[in-house]
Amino acid sequence: MHNPHPGLPEIDYIKPATLEEASRFLASHAGEARPFMGGTDCIVRIRDGVWKTKYLVDVKGLDGTDGIRFEAGKGLTIGAAVPMNKVAAHPDVQKHYPVLVEACHWVASYQLRSRATIVGNICNASPAGDTIGACMLLGGVLRVFGPDGMRDEPLNGFFKGPGKTNLKPGDIATALFLPLPPAGSVGRYIKLGRNRLGDLAIVGVTALGYPDASAASGFRFGIALASVAPVPLRASKAEEILAGKAIDEGVIAEAAQAAMDACTPIDDTRGSARYRKLMVRNLTRSALVDIWTKIRK
Amino acid sequence: MSFHRITLTINHTLYQVDIPGHLTLLQMLREKVGLTGTKNGCASGECGACTVLLNGDAVNSCMVLAAECDGADVVTIEGLAQDGEMDSLQKFIIEEGGVQCGFCTPGILMSARALLNRNPHPTEFEIREAISGNLCRCTGYNRIVAAISKAAQYEHPAA
Amino acid sequence: MAVVEKQKTNNPVGKSVPRNDVLEKVTGTAIYTDDIQFGPGLLHCRVVRSPYPHALIKKIDVSKALKLPGVKGVVTGDDFDEYIGLYLKDRHLFARGKVRFVGEPVAAVAATTEEIAEAAVELVEVEYEELEPVLDPEFGAQPGAPLIHPDLGSYERPNFIFPVAGTNISNHFKIRKGDTEAAWPQCAAIVEHTFRVPHVQHVPIEPHVAVAKMEENGQMTLWASTQSPFAQRALLAKTLHIPESDFRVIAPTIGGGFGCKAGVTMESIPCAVAMKFKGHPIKLRLTREEEFYTNFVRQGLVIHLKVGCDKDGNLLAFENRMYWDGGAYTEYGVNVTRAGGYSSTGPYDIPNVKTDSMCVYTNHPVGGAYRGFGMAELHTGVDQVMDMLAEKIGMDPVEFHKRNCVQGGDVLATGMVIHDVGIKECIDKVAQALDWGVKEPPSSPNKLRGKGIALAWKAPAMPPNAGSSALVKMNADGTVTVSVGGQEIGQGTFTAMAQIAAETLGVPYESVKVSGPIDTRYSPYEWQTVASRLTWSMGNAVRNAALDAKKKVLDMVAEAWNEDPKDLDIKDGYVISYKTEESISIKDIVVYGLPKPNDQGWIGGPVVGAGSFMPTYVTGLDAETGQGDRAVVHYTTGAEGVEIEVDKETGRITILRAACSFDVGKAINPALVKQQMEGGFVQGLSSALFEGMQLVGGVTRNPSFVDYRIATAADVPPEIDTFIVEHAQDDGPFGARGIGEHPLVPSIAAVAAALHDATGLRITNPPFSAEKVYLALLDAGLVE
Ligand SMILES: Cc1cc2nc3c(=O)[nH]c(=O)nc-3n(C[C@H](O)[C@H](O)[C@H](O)COP(=O)(O)OP(=O)(O)OC[C@H]3O[C@@H](n4cnc5c(N)ncnc54)[C@H](O)[C@@H]3O)c2cc1C
Ligand code: FES
Ligand code: FES
Repeated sequence: MHNPHPGLPEIDYIKPATLEEASRFLASHAGEARPFMGGTDCIVRIRDGVWKTKYLVDVKGLDGTDGIRFEAGKGLTIGAAVPMNKVAAHPDVQKHYPVLVEACHWVASYQLRSRATIVGNICNASPAGDTIGACMLLGGVLRVFGPDGMRDEPLNGFFKGPGKTNLKPGDIATALFLPLPPAGSVGRYIKLGRNRLGDLAIVGVTALGYPDASAASGFRFGIALASVAPVPLRASKAEEILAGKAIDEGVIAEAAQAAMDACTPIDDTRGSARYRKLMVRNLTRSALVDIWTKIRK
Repeated sequence: MSFHRITLTINHTLYQVDIPGHLTLLQMLREKVGLTGTKNGCASGECGACTVLLNGDAVNSCMVLAAECDGADVVTIEGLAQDGEMDSLQKFIIEEGGVQCGFCTPGILMSARALLNRNPHPTEFEIREAISGNLCRCTGYNRIVAAISKAAQYEHPAA
Repeated sequence: MAVVEKQKTNNPVGKSVPRNDVLEKVTGTAIYTDDIQFGPGLLHCRVVRSPYPHALIKKIDVSKALKLPGVKGVVTGDDFDEYIGLYLKDRHLFARGKVRFVGEPVAAVAATTEEIAEAAVELVEVEYEELEPVLDPEFGAQPGAPLIHPDLGSYERPNFIFPVAGTNISNHFKIRKGDTEAAWPQCAAIVEHTFRVPHVQHVPIEPHVAVAKMEENGQMTLWASTQSPFAQRALLAKTLHIPESDFRVIAPTIGGGFGCKAGVTMESIPCAVAMKFKGHPIKLRLTREEEFYTNFVRQGLVIHLKVGCDKDGNLLAFENRMYWDGGAYTEYGVNVTRAGGYSSTGPYDIPNVKTDSMCVYTNHPVGGAYRGFGMAELHTGVDQVMDMLAEKIGMDPVEFHKRNCVQGGDVLATGMVIHDVGIKECIDKVAQALDWGVKEPPSSPNKLRGKGIALAWKAPAMPPNAGSSALVKMNADGTVTVSVGGQEIGQGTFTAMAQIAAETLGVPYESVKVSGPIDTRYSPYEWQTVASRLTWSMGNAVRNAALDAKKKVLDMVAEAWNEDPKDLDIKDGYVISYKTEESISIKDIVVYGLPKPNDQGWIGGPVVGAGSFMPTYVTGLDAETGQGDRAVVHYTTGAEGVEIEVDKETGRITILRAACSFDVGKAINPALVKQQMEGGFVQGLSSALFEGMQLVGGVTRNPSFVDYRIATAADVPPEIDTFIVEHAQDDGPFGARGIGEHPLVPSIAAVAAALHDATGLRITNPPFSAEKVYLALLDAGLVE
């Protein structure tokens, strides 16, 4: 029975001065302490009693977590503490990473996105995370400060299960790096909720197409699926089909079918596994048709 | 349980408050500061009744820890009218009939204020999106949307 | 933007004057229950609840909880053995010996903070022994189903509720009119279908909250977010053995009710705790999650319908067998069942009717009053089956509805002769607004488009003697204060009452104030704010009180002027004489009186008018046939239609436009009537498209806004046309009858009809979620 607290139970708020201090505290309170960004997952889950957290360690404002930096020719660094609305409103993001803007837009509500961060979305590792697919397809890499210093965590391979990632106690993601997508890329994020806005995804399909001479059609496609597997899922079989053939309606349908076959959804309050699979097929097809129409222009 | 002393501006007045770490901004406003215009409809970021402006932008105050707000600038529904003059959104929501029980109203007005501050000429759908995180069970929304649209036109008449 | 300028609106009835409760609401200064500050003596209460749908309580151990610092005490069912219940007295304040639904209160903890109380709840150890639950009302009604209330036969009940002892049937309402068996062979077309309507929640944005305080001398005060302060006083005072006059209920501004704050819900808990901790205010507020799974629900319904008509489409026979999922106890459920029974035909004129409406105990949440009081559930079946029958006989639904809808003078299924109703006009207005008969092309090849219409009726469902009263107090500055006991729950009743008082007295609307909050110590009696009855019933009381005050003013002036009161009137705040054309402001004289004509002393004095109203003509109905002279006071009738598009890729329905029309007798305030239509329609739409409690094994799997979606601003059609029809109600103030609930009633059936028009499919059980629609399209081969 779902019986959350009226407010938060008596937890403590910790505001360390440096990454080192934060990391040390987190490492020495494994299981009891968590990094805290926008808090939109932390507060809900602690109130729910699902997380028995005792300390929320506010890592906003620590070294490298603030600001958005675009470096021409290289890519984009989004500080872990930057809320989604700020990311989506940034001119360089809008220009070079429109699919990320589209994905942010579908998260919850405006006021929630004033707090929620993309890095929080990633670290929370919910299969339903709306922005994760775009970050994966864009080749995102997390910059992580841990007990052993800084390291990079590429998103492909980062997710281990619902809420489980490569991060260890003491690890703090400080920023997300997104390399510059090839010129001429086109992306789409299609989210299906029960009502028009504000639901979690029944299914979310991110697709990104970009010019690539090595692909049969001259374009390569990435597809990521939300809410249809224990982790955010790359539809690699579908991607291979699209890379290996000249694109037409039939090939798109074939790829969409492959995406459907790749997913292993469950029944939950939002939708059944059967419906989810069918929607992966339909929405993947839609996204691809859309991209294919635009990318050739 | 440790306490934090924070200093912040609420509705243009400076406050110093001692709060425990688990208190949300919503709880602090209502229970420590006595500003009860901001409402609690779910305590989990879903209904928008607790919406306030934090450093100029709309947030769910139930999703913010008070301890984070040291140095912050907060505006609540009680601070929306200025110098005794109601905000145009307040006037138009009355005129359009967008208030019934009124429980969603403070949050909706704060969301709408943030919208018009960042986008003086929103389209109808942009208005609907901007308040989609504010649930209202009474009005059916259309009169609220009309009120926001009229307030926008009033504040920035199309050239 | 002339919003707050001083205005003067004379003769305000029928005018869309601005509401009188909005300034506080838009500035954040309106005080809701949770906003009241009670100081450091306040104790917080949290509740230990049953995790099982049906179980014996073997043992409750509170010792660990009591040891937690900050905990003041724990109360359990052992402390209170009385029964409580609005109709059937079938429940205790806390479970005793047995729990019957998930979320049932087992114990309550009082502590210095909400967090400590909550922590203590987790320390209360309860041992249960699970019993087989009843999770389906139709199964529950069968002999051999586990008995949820073995003592049903001995429960106290009013004479219009008929429980069947030895079963789970808490009320069985019957109608036997004409002879359906003889009529079936004469039918040219017959449709038979079963519908299932899920439980839904009311979802006021303000969750329930109540604070109770008992003084050392035994006086109890309850502050509650409530629609029923007087009913709460009556029920709780009796159950807790407190004299009614020592029990005071204060009802501050309320953030939406929709029925769930009617009767006694969770208020009994802080009251019970307050009796143990005298002098301390005890506060309980429900979390949103508790709001979903522990509160009264709109009970689920299984409805078997059979209806037939002749070759011209005239309805001949109708059978309706309803199993209401009343849940573990029957606060309102038994009366919803009765209302569903006597209104079971919907607004259709049918000569032969057989109805069985049964309320069945299950191990689900308790059935309460929900906007529409059974009518939305009923019409979900009845109006769909009518749409099906129209199709079968090959008749346009609009024509079919018009041919068969009730008209003034018709004898209803209960034997009551119905008053003049404007439902035909309502149908015409809706059909016209939707360009009925014109088939518009869909906006893209991926969409299907269709229109649907459905009708509604509803009578105030209440005991035959539900009364209202009002006081009209004249002030020296010429203003008027109206006191009532009905609650402003957002519907605008304080505004309508001010209009009625102003119109009756002859003063401008702006000079009338309605005093709130409702306080049973000072406010005049009102049965409850439910049943769309206030405009009509409380409006009559206010009108009577205003007439009384007016008479006192005119009598005084007549005496002073040596005139006949018949020649006097009040206009714009002045007493005028039609005979002498003299006039005098009511200011001052309504308090200080007037000098006698000979200057020897004074006459008059402070003017207070009193008025009340109670229908005296509602009759009982025969237990076996449901026949009687007058089952209800009146019916409000109307129609709604929608145009929709269905996305073939996802199954999602988009409402393109909608039209609603209701016969309200007389719109006291047309803008408020339209606002009720829009808001009610959207609430109905939300239940048509999204809402349903997912009860699995008695557990609500979606008790939060994340999991239980309601319509947002992005889900509603930008165009909702509303049309007011006015066929006066003979006993309504200025001809008015209610409109609060009705717009919600036909929404589901209207969407279902449009869905059929668009797709050719009958997807009959709401909600019509994208998933349900898509899978139906798929199974029908309409998409691959
Ligand atoms: C009402 C509501 C609706 C929602 N709707 C959506 C939706 O539509 N789509 C969607 O995708 N999500 C949704 N969410 C979930 C949530 O908003 C997102 O996952 C959000 O992106 C989380 O970001 P945050 O900054 O708030 O994370 P936080 O709550 O601060 O953190 C989330 C998790 O990441 C960890 N973490 C945070 N920062 C770091 C760091 N720097 N290093 C390592 N670990 C870290 C935390 O310990 C925690 O486990 C919703 C949440 C709510 C309350
Ligand atoms: S109370 Fe904060 S969103 Fe509902
Ligand atoms: S006016 Fe009641 S919830 Fe919006």
